[in-house]
Amino acid sequence: MAAIPALVTASTKLHNTTGLTDESHDCQIRDHVAYCRNLLSTKALSSISRDESVLDPHDRTLIQDGILSSISFFSVCKSKPSRKRPMEHCLGIYYPRGRLWSKAVRYLETFNPVQIRYAGQEFRQLIEYPLLATRPIREAILRLDPSCAVFTSTHLLFVQLCLRAKAYACALPVLDKHVCHFPAPSSRASSKSSLALCAKHESGLSFITDSSALSATLTYKDYLLYFLYGGMIYMALKEWRKAFHFLGVVISMPTVGSISMVMVEAYKKWVLVGLLANGKLSSPPNNTPSHLVKLYQSIAKPYVSLAQAFERGEMQTLVAEVDAARDIWIMDRNMGLVSQVVNTFSAHALVRLRKTFAALTVAEVLEQVPHLPADPIATESVIAPLIMSGAMNATLVHSPSHTSDTMLRLSGKPFFSQVSHESHMQVRFRKEGQLMTALMGSLEETNRAMALSDEFVDASSKGQAWTTASEVNQGVGDDFGLDMDEDIMGG
Amino acid sequence: MDTTLPDAGPAQASSSAAQGVGIVPNEATNGTGVAAPRIKVDEPPKFEVESYIANYTGRTRFHRLYLIGTTSTLLSTDVLKAAVAEAKSGKNVELYEKAVRALSEVAPTEPEAFLDSSWVQEVQRSVRAQTDRLEQELRGYKNNLIKESIRMGNEDLGNHYYETGDLVAAAKAYSRMRDYCTTPNHIASMLFKLINVSVEREDWLNVQSNVHRLRNALSKPEDQARDQPKMMAAMGLSLMHARSYLDAANSFLSVEPTLADTFTEVITPNDIAVYGGLCALASMDRNELQRRVLENNSFRNFLELEPHIRRAIGFFCNSKFRPCLDILEAYRVDYLLDIHLQRHVAELYSLIRTKSIKQYLVPFSRVTLDSMATIFAPNVVGGEAQPTGFKSPFVQELIKLIKAGVLDARIDLEKGVLVSNQTDLREEVQNNTLESMMAFNEEAHIRLLHAAVLQAGLQVPAAPKEGRRPRMDHRDGKGDVGNF
Repeated sequence: MAAIPALVTASTKLHNTTGLTDESHDCQIRDHVAYCRNLLSTKALSSISRDESVLDPHDRTLIQDGILSSISFFSVCKSKPSRKRPMEHCLGIYYPRGRLWSKAVRYLETFNPVQIRYAGQEFRQLIEYPLLATRPIREAILRLDPSCAVFTSTHLLFVQLCLRAKAYACALPVLDKHVCHFPAPSSRASSKSSLALCAKHESGLSFITDSSALSATLTYKDYLLYFLYGGMIYMALKEWRKAFHFLGVVISMPTVGSISMVMVEAYKKWVLVGLLANGKLSSPPNNTPSHLVKLYQSIAKPYVSLAQAFERGEMQTLVAEVDAARDIWIMDRNMGLVSQVVNTFSAHALVRLRKTFAALTVAEVLEQVPHLPADPIATESVIAPLIMSGAMNATLVHSPSHTSDTMLRLSGKPFFSQVSHESHMQVRFRKEGQLMTALMGSLEETNRAMALSDEFVDASSKGQAWTTASEVNQGVGDDFGLDMDEDIMGG
Repeated sequence: MDTTLPDAGPAQASSSAAQGVGIVPNEATNGTGVAAPRIKVDEPPKFEVESYIANYTGRTRFHRLYLIGTTSTLLSTDVLKAAVAEAKSGKNVELYEKAVRALSEVAPTEPEAFLDSSWVQEVQRSVRAQTDRLEQELRGYKNNLIKESIRMGNEDLGNHYYETGDLVAAAKAYSRMRDYCTTPNHIASMLFKLINVSVEREDWLNVQSNVHRLRNALSKPEDQARDQPKMMAAMGLSLMHARSYLDAANSFLSVEPTLADTFTEVITPNDIAVYGGLCALASMDRNELQRRVLENNSFRNFLELEPHIRRAIGFFCNSKFRPCLDILEAYRVDYLLDIHLQRHVAELYSLIRTKSIKQYLVPFSRVTLDSMATIFAPNVVGGEAQPTGFKSPFVQELIKLIKAGVLDARIDLEKGVLVSNQTDLREEVQNNTLESMMAFNEEAHIRLLHAAVLQAGLQVPAAPKEGRRPRMDHRDGKGDVGNF
């Protein structure tokens, strides 16, 4: 029991740090971490065995403080599963309705993001081992590193969870922030950064390092899977453009010779999503090596030929392609996407009508889009949902007398009012602008990490200019020689 | 007869194939494979064939006569007779045989439709003898090492080959003159001979390259002034055949009126006016037409020879499209009987028509289809019950133009109007900006990640035995999320 008051006093002491320099604060936290770890690994275990008595006063203190002393809490949590209690029970208390659940959740939403940097190991154990709920993890990720630019194993765990729980929208705040870095190797980080861990850091890159243990050791599969799953989440939300980008990231990642099956899976989905997003077989991201593209195409042949049939605009071939490779779609679990592709096919053709016509009868629509159901009434029922979903900006007008056909009037202007459109655009602009700013920040980080300074860039561009200049000179020389030749012949 | 014009070749082959009559072996090899539809014209042209052909000199007379004879059903007998006579006045046996064969198809009973075999043998014999003699002479000159003689020997040989129709050999002989030319004038005359041969062989790339060489070879301004019209005319011709009509128009427009009758073995000033006018009409906008064609002093001399072209351009510039198209339509037959223009008439006319439609739409925000149809499809208006219905050819034409992106308008079939698209500039700019921002962000993200992956050493490894493992792992991964 003595351990608890000791912990509490230690943590409150830690909070009265106003006026301390970063260095001394750093030392203090380090000491505290060592103290807690030590305390909990030895004698405290037995004394903390009575949960309620331990955590209630603890909790109350925390509430009184208003700020949470992160390390203490994690130390407490960490100790739990290692007790002699049966394992199920241990885990049980972390699940919803378990005793520790609400405390853990509240904690993850309010922890002190600076101090947590010192206790990466405990933090990860809390998230990865017992606590499997998407929202708290998301909050924790965002609290730890608001820019979210450094990839950690938690990211992968999180999207995997979201995908499994079908909590797609929940993943968006994390996915919408572009991951641009990986934890730096500790040796470099420690030698380079003079800043203390608890100081203000501009980006997560400087405190999420290999030694901080905030992320497990990463392999190539982790980030590939992260982007694949991210793409799949966007697909589920029908955000085709973003899904397309995420899958594009996977297929363009650098390789040494061979490719991973994850990339092949991504390529298959990428082809289908490209059809859904752009209506054509798109070219892969610029920096995809050409031999990889060939490799993909040979492995995912049915997908490519499906896309080609789509591009040519032949419904018959498209359906034939879909039927021919049905087993493959099912085996790859892409059947859902494929059927969506088939559905968009006529929708694309119908939406394209807007470019040519302002108004025409449904019978005339049939002539322009030949693969619709031949009956005008059936066609109407194809068009109606498109209009309702907003994919097509049009109205259907029945003639008062039932003598003539229904008229399809395609309006050129968007329906929604000018003002709401403007504000919608502004929101999108702001979002993209923020994204761009974040990317520029990441770019600076990358430059710093790679020791790419402006001077270096200047020097290398100068070098380039020099080589081109010499080439030009060479060219001039050649021309000159030719001229001489010509003159000799002319004379 | 590998030197016949492609125009004549397929026509010849298809007609003789249809009749199943004997074909000279080497001609059969030429005619096959080219499947251009044979153009037939039933109406009489506006010109007199005799006076028309009198404008030309050299071999082009025969080719033009032959083309008219095989194209126009009305004139074929008379013109082909003239072609036979024309061929007989020269030394080219193959052309003679070709003309006789064409004549025998349309008028088998005419006395000229029978091959004059004694003449053929006589000519062949004398040609052989002369070839031998000239080659002998040339060899003699070469032994004497006198440059000028060798040049002239080659020239004579080339001329001889050209007359007898062996254009490949002629071109070779002319090119051999190159090394023995001593003055720029020699080079110019040699290049002109090469140009003539290339024109007859329809080797338009060669024409262009020879024109360029000629331009480089001429250093004196007075030489340039003298040869410029011919060069530009040849250039324009080759560009027209390469279907770059704007460049062709520019070349024709820069031909100086000093051309007069100096180039009649290829082209007459009348042709310049017609070709230049049509190419310009098909490729230039109104302002350019006004400024560069109608107000062009040197080209006016040509246009005066063909006043209807001038009128057509004038009408176009004044937005009177119906009279403009009417004039062109009236002269369609004439142009179909022109050796160079024949295969471009359809394309040029459709270009002009499209441009007229486009021009017509400029001032309107919406136009009734009826009023358009009265201008651009008068026959349809008269003939059909529903001139502007969905199925009428005029509407189909409009649909095609819109789909091809030529017209920026949309058809309202309910009200029968063509609505021009009004783009909201603000919205367009917004969309473009947003699109480029997104594209940039995506690209930048991928590149940054690339760099990060390389820096962290997390590339996908190469080891072949690793190739299995990701597959297995990934299967597991998929199992987790398989319900997706």
